[in-house]
Amino acid sequence: MQEILLIGAGTMGMEHAASYYSMEDVHLAGIVDLRKEQAEQIIGQHDTKLFQTLDEAVNTLEHIDVIDICVPTYLHKEYVMKAADYGIHVICEKPLAYTLEDAREMIDYCEAKQVKLFVGHVVRFFPQYAKVHELIANETIGEIGVVRTRRGGEFPAGWSDWYADHTKSGGVILDLMIHDFDYLRWNFGEVDRVFAKGLAERNIEHLDYALVTLVFQSGVIAHVEGTWAHQTFSTQFEFAGKTGIIEYDSLKEEPVLLSMKQSKAKSSGGVAVPQSPLKKTPYTIELEHFLTCLKTNATPIVSAEDAYKAMEISVAALQSLKTGLPVSLGREGGVLL
Amino acid sequence: MKIGIISFAHMHANSYASVLKAMEGVTLAGIADDNEERGKQASQLFDTAYFKNYQDLLQTDIDAVIVTSENSFHHQHVVAAAKAGKHVLCEKPLATNLADMEEMITVCEENQVLLGTAFPVRFNTPIQQAKEMIDQGVLGEILAIKGTNRGTNPGGWFIDKAKSGGGAVLDHTVHVVDIIRWFTGAEVNEVYAEIGSVYTNQPIDDCGIITMEFTNGMFATLDCSWSRNRSYPTWGDVTLEIIGTNGTLKVDAFSQKIDLYSDSDGVQWIGWGDDMDAGLIEDFVNSIREGRAPLATGHSGMKAVEVALAAYQSHEKKTPVKLK
Repeated sequence: MQEILLIGAGTMGMEHAASYYSMEDVHLAGIVDLRKEQAEQIIGQHDTKLFQTLDEAVNTLEHIDVIDICVPTYLHKEYVMKAADYGIHVICEKPLAYTLEDAREMIDYCEAKQVKLFVGHVVRFFPQYAKVHELIANETIGEIGVVRTRRGGEFPAGWSDWYADHTKSGGVILDLMIHDFDYLRWNFGEVDRVFAKGLAERNIEHLDYALVTLVFQSGVIAHVEGTWAHQTFSTQFEFAGKTGIIEYDSLKEEPVLLSMKQSKAKSSGGVAVPQSPLKKTPYTIELEHFLTCLKTNATPIVSAEDAYKAMEISVAALQSLKTGLPVSLGREGGVLL
Repeated sequence: MKIGIISFAHMHANSYASVLKAMEGVTLAGIADDNEERGKQASQLFDTAYFKNYQDLLQTDIDAVIVTSENSFHHQHVVAAAKAGKHVLCEKPLATNLADMEEMITVCEENQVLLGTAFPVRFNTPIQQAKEMIDQGVLGEILAIKGTNRGTNPGGWFIDKAKSGGGAVLDHTVHVVDIIRWFTGAEVNEVYAEIGSVYTNQPIDDCGIITMEFTNGMFATLDCSWSRNRSYPTWGDVTLEIIGTNGTLKVDAFSQKIDLYSDSDGVQWIGWGDDMDAGLIEDFVNSIREGRAPLATGHSGMKAVEVALAAYQSHEKKTPVKLK
């Protein structure tokens, strides 16, 4: 039985908890959150203890295999370092950190303390994205010229509106588009140049939008759109190859469509977590994979280093947005020129 | 009113000729084409006179010409038409360099003939409806626009730079830039472009993402790639998504379509929306009748090409390029 301690009972925490509850041989031993009612709602009838602090949880629980960190980005570092201090392996939500310096420090610290650090770049585990990765790896559509991705919807309603503070969330470029940056890097390797335009500097209340062009060292051009300016969450991608085109639009995917009279509908709020009906959610597939890697010492599909590299692309995009100039990522990767 | 057509090099000539044939009070008075086979075939099809030399067509009593020659001949044909006192509707892109475009505009002014640029997308009904919404201020302040004008590799002279002046960037930047200018009244003041050559197997640009900044503070990107492959259900697209402070507006000029699944031809999208080419030609004819400028002038054509030329420059220098 693998014992899990979950930090944070927000939208992602709830998602992860549901995944753990669906797994065999996995026990969600505790949840740390000051919001008692919200955490209790997640726990329901399950045998999970509620704690106010991480220290309290670690001191109370007999054994913890993994600490899963689902708190706002700007709090990641504090919890990752603490978990590492306790010598407990870590799963951390994306983006790993707000700054590259913090991310590097966290990775190095976990290494020094010999704890594993997994970062939740869940898009690699979405079946439609995983399938396309396979198709591209098999060169199903030939040489690829232009790729387009889109992600976003409503402005997320996070705890104490932390998404609205760019210095905490990094806006769409760091919080949202990093999914696609990581996914594209998984498919096409290292990025050469980044050029970005966005609304981050405009400080418009509860609105963010960015259009980022990436050029990979392989020559592939990718246009990445991130939006918190729309009303419905959706994701799209298109890969245009020489001998074929791959398209996907989550809005066109309607395996089950319930349409309610407006008076009966309840507004949801929170952060949109898109779900297609599947036996296992992408979060479950991801977390199961991390837990298996932990048991077998296998290399995960997405590493902490990958998470760092994805952040590099976001940081380059934010820099381009500020300077109005294209930003080159060093050939070796790792150095922003 | 008598209208001639100079060259059937561009496939749009067929559509324009069909519209002219169907219009009341308008005669398709002749077709000039240095390609004798192509010109004769067209003149037979549209039941009109054939001229091998375009100067001979210009010496007849026609009121106006539509120029649908290869891009690099637009300048020569428009200038000659203007000097012969004929109004001109010129296929886009207006020309392949700035000096040519300026001269075309000046010569038309000097000879007091109208110069229109064939931007049919302005006459696409969904696009026009979107324009109305924007004019009503529904979106609030416009912050950003994402555009696409993808297409299929057109082949032929389009991928011969000497005749076309450029590939996908020149061919497919101008429509959407024109629509954005028309929608917002803003001018492009900076252009950045990533351009590639993947789809044509020819030494010509066939894909790219262009990023623009505008005088009103908004930004936009445009995918101008010839990235639609043979089995894609349609030739390409024109789409715009507009982000405003009050909401977003998505326009897909050709989404009025049915899906056809054919054993012989695979999947095809068959459009059933209004014919935008008819609107374009009608506006040109009416502008002559009413003595007013066509909706999209030579100046509009030039402003759009300027952006494409700046995109090439940006790609070469790997840096954003400012426009005057």
